[in-house]
Amino acid sequence: MSGTELNGGGQAEAVAKAGPAGGASFLKGVAFDQQMIVLLLFAAIFLAFSLLLPGFFTVGNLLTLMRTVSVLGILGLGMAVVVIGRGIDLSMIASLAVPSAVVLMLASKDYGIATSLLCGVSLAVAIGVLNGFLVAYAEIPSLFTTLAVGIGIAGIGQSGLFEYEIVPWPAQLAAISWIGQGSLLGIPYSVLAFIAAAIIVGIFMRKTRLGAFIYASGDNPNAARIAGIPVRPILMLQYIIAGLVAMFAGLVLSASSSSMDTRIFNLTWIYDVILVVVLGGIGLSGGRGGVINVIIGTLLIGTIVNGMTIMNVSFEMQNLIKGVVLLAALSIDSIVNPRNEETAQQGDI
Amino acid sequence: MSPILELRQLTKVYARVAAVESIDFTLLKGEVHALLGENGAGKSTLTKMIAGVVSPTSGTIVLDGKDITLRTPSDALAAGIAMVFQETSLVPSMTVAQNLFLGNEHFFNRVRGINIAAQQFMQSLSFQVDPTVQVGSLGAAKKQMVEIARAMLLKARIIVFDEPTATLTPEEKRHFFELVNTLRERGVSVIFISHALEEALSISDRITILRDGKLVLTDKTANFDRARIVQAMVGRTLSQELYGTRKTSVRPAGRRVLSVSNLRVGNVVKNNSLSVFAGQITGIFGLVGSGRTETFKVVAGAIKRDYTNGGEVFLDGKRVRYRVPAQSVRDGVAYITEDRKIEGFFETMSIKSNIFMGLLAKLRGKFWLKGREVDTVGEKWVKSLQVRAVSKGARVIELSGGNQQKAVIAKSLVQEPELIIFDEPTRGVDVGAIAEIHQIINRLADEGKAVVVISSYLPEVMQLSDRLLVARQGKVVEEFSPIEATEEKLMYAAVH
Repeated sequence: MSGTELNGGGQAEAVAKAGPAGGASFLKGVAFDQQMIVLLLFAAIFLAFSLLLPGFFTVGNLLTLMRTVSVLGILGLGMAVVVIGRGIDLSMIASLAVPSAVVLMLASKDYGIATSLLCGVSLAVAIGVLNGFLVAYAEIPSLFTTLAVGIGIAGIGQSGLFEYEIVPWPAQLAAISWIGQGSLLGIPYSVLAFIAAAIIVGIFMRKTRLGAFIYASGDNPNAARIAGIPVRPILMLQYIIAGLVAMFAGLVLSASSSSMDTRIFNLTWIYDVILVVVLGGIGLSGGRGGVINVIIGTLLIGTIVNGMTIMNVSFEMQNLIKGVVLLAALSIDSIVNPRNEETAQQGDI
Repeated sequence: MSPILELRQLTKVYARVAAVESIDFTLLKGEVHALLGENGAGKSTLTKMIAGVVSPTSGTIVLDGKDITLRTPSDALAAGIAMVFQETSLVPSMTVAQNLFLGNEHFFNRVRGINIAAQQFMQSLSFQVDPTVQVGSLGAAKKQMVEIARAMLLKARIIVFDEPTATLTPEEKRHFFELVNTLRERGVSVIFISHALEEALSISDRITILRDGKLVLTDKTANFDRARIVQAMVGRTLSQELYGTRKTSVRPAGRRVLSVSNLRVGNVVKNNSLSVFAGQITGIFGLVGSGRTETFKVVAGAIKRDYTNGGEVFLDGKRVRYRVPAQSVRDGVAYITEDRKIEGFFETMSIKSNIFMGLLAKLRGKFWLKGREVDTVGEKWVKSLQVRAVSKGARVIELSGGNQQKAVIAKSLVQEPELIIFDEPTRGVDVGAIAEIHQIINRLADEGKAVVVISSYLPEVMQLSDRLLVARQGKVVEEFSPIEATEEKLMYAAVH
C-alpha cells in the first residue's frame, strides 16, 4: 500500500503534485484546473465572509458549519462512488433516514446495539442490492431506479414503520452517541467521522482492485466488460456502498441532533449532495475524480450555505441560488468533461 | 464546370488532435467526387462539416461564392446540402411517403395526398419504390433510394454519401451507380466516401485522397490507377515492404484449440463451423455482414449465440458457453476489438493503468493494489510492445492510433491468453505501427499461441495467415493456403 497509487483519473496524480509546494504550471488537464478553480473560489468566499459577515468567523459558527457540512460530505462520498461508476443514486436520503431510524427504533425497544446496527446495515445493503439489481440486470437507468426506490423506501418508513415521524435517539444508544456529539481536541466528532469516511472510501477507491474496477467500468463499461471485469456485480457494489455510507451519515446526523426526522426525504437535500459532487469536479460522465473532489465541493457548499444563513437569506432564495449554482456546475461539467461520442450512447445515467 | 462548393483551410480539432487539418477542397457543379483514405484519415469528419453535423474549428465553407456558416444539418439542408449516412436516418415505422415529407407536412397532413405526391415524385426520379410501404421493411438499397429521393425533394444540389455501397449486394450496387449517374445528369454534385477503390475509379469524375487529416491530392479520375491511389493513401511505398513479398512457408498446425460447430446468432451467423489451431495464425477474411466478428464475439462471451440450435463451441475440447467475457478471459481467450474507442481502452487512464486493468481483470482473489505493480507491469509491456507516448503519464486518448492499438493489445496480452483474436488489428493505424503490430502477431504464433486475425484488408490476411478462411453471409465457406491463394480467388469466394 505504499508508493504511487493506481491512477484512475489522471486526476489523483494531478492533485498529488499540485500540493502547495509543487509548482502547478507544468500540469495540464482540465480536471485539475476545475479543482483549482473550486478551491480558489472556496478560499475567496471564505475570506470574504470572514471579513464582511459579522459572526461568520467565530468559533461557534465555524463548528456549526463543519458539523452541518460533515453529514453532507459523508453523503457526497457515497454519491461520488456511484457517479464515478457512471450512475447516480437519488435514494441516498432515504437510505440515510430509514435504516438509521430503524436502528434507533430497535435500540429503543431494547434489542441491543449490535442487533439494531446489524438490522440497519442489512436494510441499507438491501436498498443497495435493490438499486444495483435494477440498474445492472434490469437495465433501468439509475436516475429513475434510484428515484423510485428512494420514494418507496421513504414511504415504507413514513407509513407506519415508526411510531412517530421523528424518531428520538434512545438512551440505549448512549454508548455510541459520541459519533455525532462532542469533540476531540476541539474538532467535532462528526467532522472526524467525515474525515474517517473520506479516508476509508479513498483507500477503497484507489488502493483496491474493486475500486479500480469501479473506475474502469465508469470510464468505459464496454471496454471493462470485454477486458473481463464483472461489470454488473461492480454496479451492484457501488449502490451497496452508497447505501452503507448514507446510513453512516444518518447515524452521525441523528446522534448530533438527538433524533432522526424521517420526513427528511421531502427536503431537497439530495440536490446539495449532487452539487457537492459535481462542483468538486467529479464528472457525471464517469471514471473521473475522487475523494479529494468531494472534500473541496463540500467545503465550498458548506461555506456558501452557512454564509447565506447568517445573511438571513430566505430558504426559498437559498434554494434559488443553489439551483443556479448546480445548473452552472452541470453545464461546466459537460463542457469540461465531454462524454466520448461513441460511449455516450450506452450506459447512460 | 464551375465550382459550387469550396472549402478553405478547413480544420477540425478533437481533444487537441486535429482530425482534419487545413483542407482546401473544391467541388464542381454536377460532378461525382470520390473521397478516399484509410480509416481515421478524416473523411467522415470532413463530410460531416460540409453537412453541418460538425462545426469546423477554423476555416471557411464557400457555397456559390458566398461564405456560409453551417451550424446544424438543417442549415446545410436549407443551403442545398444533404448527407446520406451509413446508418440511414429514416424512421423505420413510417411509410416511404411519410418519410419523404417528414418535417415538411402540411398542417392537415392527408395520407392520400402525400402518397400521391410521393408516387409522382418517385416516378419522376424513376425509382421503383411503393410509397405506402413501411420503411423498416425495405432492403438497404431501397432505403438508400428513399434517402436520395428525400434529398432531391428538398432540392439538394450537393449530396454527400458516407460509404453508400458498404451494405449493398453487387446487384444493388449496380443500381446505386445508375442512381448516381441520374443525379449527375440532373446537375447534382455528389461526394462519396468509399473504401472500394474500383468503385471510385469506375463512377467518379474526380478523386480526392486524404491521409492523417490532410488532403494529399485531388485529380481527375482518368489520371489514377489502383497503385497510385494506394500509394497516396498509404503515403509511403512501405506498403510494398509490408505486403510485397509472398508467403513461402506456413507454420504447421498444433493442437486444436478452438472448434466451433453450427454456430447461430440471429440473422448474422448461420451454421458457422471452423477450427483454430495452436502455433499458427488463422486468418478470417470476409466482407461486412459475413458474421466474422459476431462469431468470435460469441467465442469470447461478448455476445450470446441463439438459445436453441445455437451450435457448439469447444475450447481445448471442452464444451463452453460463456455468458460474460470475464469467463472466457479466465479460460485464456482474448478478444481484441475492432473498435478500440468503444470497447478498447479507458480514456481517462494512463497507458500503464490501462494495461494493469487487464491484469486486474484476470487476477482472482486479490484485494489490495500496490502502486509499484502498476508501474512495473505497465513499463514492461510498454517496452515489449514499443508503445510510444509523449510523456510517461500520457493518457491513451492522447496517443496515435497505432500506439492506442498497441496499448489495447498489451491490455489483453497481460492476461496471458492462449487464444488471441485480433479483430481488424490495424484499422486506423499508421503504416509504421502496422509493421510492428504484425510483428507482435507473428511473435505470438511463434510462441505457440493460437492466433486469429479477422481482417477485411486482403493483403493483410494474406501476409499474416498460415491458414485462410473466407466467410460469407454468416459462415466460413472456403479454406485456402496462403501460398496458393490470390487476392482474386479470396475476393471471389467472399462475394459469390
